[in-house]
Amino acid sequence: MPPHSWDPPFLGMLGLAGPQDTVPPTEGSLSLDEVGSLNTRVPLFSSRQVASQCQLLQSSLGRPSSPQLPQLPDEPLSLQDAPGGLFQMPPGDPFPERVTVVWLSVLALAFALVCEPQENLSLAEITLRRLAPRLLLSLRLLGPGADVLLRPDAADGLLDRLLPHGQMLFLNEHFLQAMDRELGIKASR
Amino acid sequence: MGARVPDSPESPGREIQEEELRRFAARVSALLQGPEPGPEAVDGLQRLHLTVAATKYPRKLDGKFVELLQTVLCLPKSPEQIQVLCAAILREMSPCNDLILLSCDEIQDTKLLSLVSSVLLAQGEMAAVGQCVVKVLERRLPEGQSARFLLPVLANVISLSPESLTEGKSIGRAEIATCKKMADWLRYASIQQGMAQPSGGFFSSPRTKQPAPITEVDGAVATDFFTVLSVAQHYTQDQWLNVQTFSMLRNWLLCYGEGALELDECVTSLVSTTATAGRLLPPGERLRDKAFEYCQRLIEQSNRRPLKKEDGDLQKACLIEAVTIMDIICKQDSSYVCRAVSFLKVLHSRICGDATYARALLPIAQFFLNHSKLAAVDSDAIYKHLLTDIPAQLFHNPSLAFEFVQFCKDNSQLLTDSSSIFRQSFPNLFKFLAWNSPPLISEFVDLLPFLLDPGTTIEIFHLLLDLPCLTAALDIQAAALPASEKAGGDPAGKPATCLEAFRHPLYKSMFQYLLRTKSAPQDAPESLVPLRQLLGSLAGSPRVVQCAESVPVLLELFFRVVAEFADESLINQLVVLLLQRSDQLYEIPAFKEDVVLGSQLAMLCRLRPALVVELSTEILEFSGAVSNIQSKEAIFTHMVWAIGEYLSVSYDKRCTVEQITRFFETLEAVLFEITQLRPQASTPSCAPRAISVLMATLTKLAARSQDLIPRVSMFLSKMRTFVQSPAVTSVYCEEDLEEILIRATELMNLLKMPSVAQFVFTPPVASTQFQRDVNDSLPLALRMVTQLLEPAPGSMPV
Repeated sequence: MPPHSWDPPFLGMLGLAGPQDTVPPTEGSLSLDEVGSLNTRVPLFSSRQVASQCQLLQSSLGRPSSPQLPQLPDEPLSLQDAPGGLFQMPPGDPFPERVTVVWLSVLALAFALVCEPQENLSLAEITLRRLAPRLLLSLRLLGPGADVLLRPDAADGLLDRLLPHGQMLFLNEHFLQAMDRELGIKASR
Repeated sequence: MGARVPDSPESPGREIQEEELRRFAARVSALLQGPEPGPEAVDGLQRLHLTVAATKYPRKLDGKFVELLQTVLCLPKSPEQIQVLCAAILREMSPCNDLILLSCDEIQDTKLLSLVSSVLLAQGEMAAVGQCVVKVLERRLPEGQSARFLLPVLANVISLSPESLTEGKSIGRAEIATCKKMADWLRYASIQQGMAQPSGGFFSSPRTKQPAPITEVDGAVATDFFTVLSVAQHYTQDQWLNVQTFSMLRNWLLCYGEGALELDECVTSLVSTTATAGRLLPPGERLRDKAFEYCQRLIEQSNRRPLKKEDGDLQKACLIEAVTIMDIICKQDSSYVCRAVSFLKVLHSRICGDATYARALLPIAQFFLNHSKLAAVDSDAIYKHLLTDIPAQLFHNPSLAFEFVQFCKDNSQLLTDSSSIFRQSFPNLFKFLAWNSPPLISEFVDLLPFLLDPGTTIEIFHLLLDLPCLTAALDIQAAALPASEKAGGDPAGKPATCLEAFRHPLYKSMFQYLLRTKSAPQDAPESLVPLRQLLGSLAGSPRVVQCAESVPVLLELFFRVVAEFADESLINQLVVLLLQRSDQLYEIPAFKEDVVLGSQLAMLCRLRPALVVELSTEILEFSGAVSNIQSKEAIFTHMVWAIGEYLSVSYDKRCTVEQITRFFETLEAVLFEITQLRPQASTPSCAPRAISVLMATLTKLAARSQDLIPRVSMFLSKMRTFVQSPAVTSVYCEEDLEEILIRATELMNLLKMPSVAQFVFTPPVASTQFQRDVNDSLPLALRMVTQLLEPAPGSMPV
């Protein structure tokens, strides 16, 4: 059965981008239609889970659960204290296999990375912490307007470098800087 | 079935029809076929992409247009942004039958090949992509092209469909070539820094500088070969390949490492054995060898103090990856075990005292679990440190908590061995849950069954009920600074705050028990009631509340699992504990309601009806205390119901008439007290359900010992007066009183036909299905009998 590729920018809007950017095929189980609907259902399902985990964490820390209105930051966003976490989703709905979700919340947005069980979760957290500010910057995610939905190429470009074909990379800071130079962005940290 | 396209960022999307979409696509098509597709084309493609992505229904773009997209994508002269957008739209449409044109053969540009591959993979063409990529990697790439963009494609293919590379004729050869190159990329990347791209221009000075050597993360000149932890200002292509290769190494070894032996056999049959002198390892083995070396180097490099703080995070991630890969290599080739063991032992002693490296202790422990037998190495100290110290100190680290619990789940067979330190450390494990409930509750649902056995049941029962207390205690422990020993306050007096209480002699041992790191049922203090009361001030804290919400589901699971193995003695113990603890719970508002112990009690009685007789002393004491009706209403009601159900000679031969009478008298006294016509101030007002159940149980008992029938009947007949008395009507609502009266009447009527009553209330034990539903069938039976005795007018049988 042909797998379905998740279009990263679309998923990014709903807060989801995955190292496995295609659904692993399971023999004879999914029709073309089912795969197609899986594409839309999956990000919605995961983002609900992430949102609730985020709210629960915020409330456990005694912070207000409703996020502040996003303001365009003057100085670079520090993600050191950004709330985040890990949780697992059992096999079945919506992913065929068990997956681990790594998530990060920045102001009113959440980003989630969906990993297979044996993947390096420390690296996933690092990857997410690098993706988030670059996506925020490139797509102007905290700005007004919905034009982020109209710029899949910008998100694709970033994901193509930092998470090419869903592959997480062991990049030290200098490699990251070299990559930023290639992308032509001045990364704010 | 329209599609949505936003007019502008502000206004919401409107429905557009197929026709409009077609026209729009045609316009974009014209732009794309024009001489220089510019911003307008980009804008059009972006809008199209959103249209295609946002529709729920199968998106139908014109076949010709789809063909055009594919053509534009593959055209080398197309601007990159346009290519990316075309690929995005095509991916969004996948899987789709129109994408037959697309193929990755003939594409020279590796970046483009990667882009096209993303579309083909979405179409399910793993084999085609895999073989194409491997072919390209095999040969020498044209000038300016880098293999760097192809490795991720390869990694994706093998993780999706490992066998796709071995299909077709080039079996083995593809893997061989790739293996060889990967080993080279890992081990022999350049140790000089790359050169910056020449800026050109009039004022640029010619590059005469020699390339500088690479450095380590702490600034020192590199001592050995290049790795992901090597630093340079600019990187060469092969250094990028080094990064890519290591990043996919784990997956590659997992997919093809096992088959490496076959691979190597395949090679030796293809290659002449006299080809080269010296040690020439077969490719699979060689890759493993280089990989092992690489991991060792990474582990050494992780010892350096990085100049950039963020590199520290990467060091730790590399450490974890390196240990994991070593573990995989050792599983595939046990000749590596000895080297690895000594190396990792040194690593362990280096990092075990450093809290920031705690997550790396898990793969190390896993390695020793997998291989220490083979190496005849004693690794108990490693497990002990992991299970005893780490959870106690680092429970508040959510990532560590998650991975630790996963580790336990992955090694769950160790938890079932009661002598193992894994099993004994369960109090420590629960600290993770107490602090980080929301993400871990489902993990503990998986874990709990492995922890439960006859030896741990009671301790875990108490632990679950006190889990929110544990959360509060952890909070206090964290706040209590180790330095200020004198924070105990005045030992003679009472502590003013929870913090003071932490070291106060009155509470110290209770805290210590709650916060214990090992299972210790024999050390349980007499009672934790004072501690629970003390911690009451923290009952509203968000973490405590979240933890409390996770307890009911675990309790439910607990009883389900225990019911399967518990023997008589354990069931009896649990019942007594249920009666005791039902009001000894942490005072969190919803907690007492959510923790449903009553139904668990009923379940246990159903499992083992004879316990009603065996525990008659405790049960009599419990059900005779009128105060229990208010403070433990649910469990009281269930207990009384159980008495009615199971106190019978058909369940236990030892049930005598005296016993039935004793229970009867106890319950009669209770019912008498709560149904006084002029209730005193001390009389508790209780739920009508309690009254109903008491009446029903008394009736059932009377049916079994018929001397009691007159007493019950008289009592029941007084209920009418009770229900109508002014003092009572002010306390209970009309429907409830109505219900009580109806029930009393029905029961009275039933007793007028004692043999029927006996049948209804004491069915033979064999028909347990019927007996189980008695509570439901009782009203029906009662109604039937009532109708017989008090027929409605006009329905008298002739």
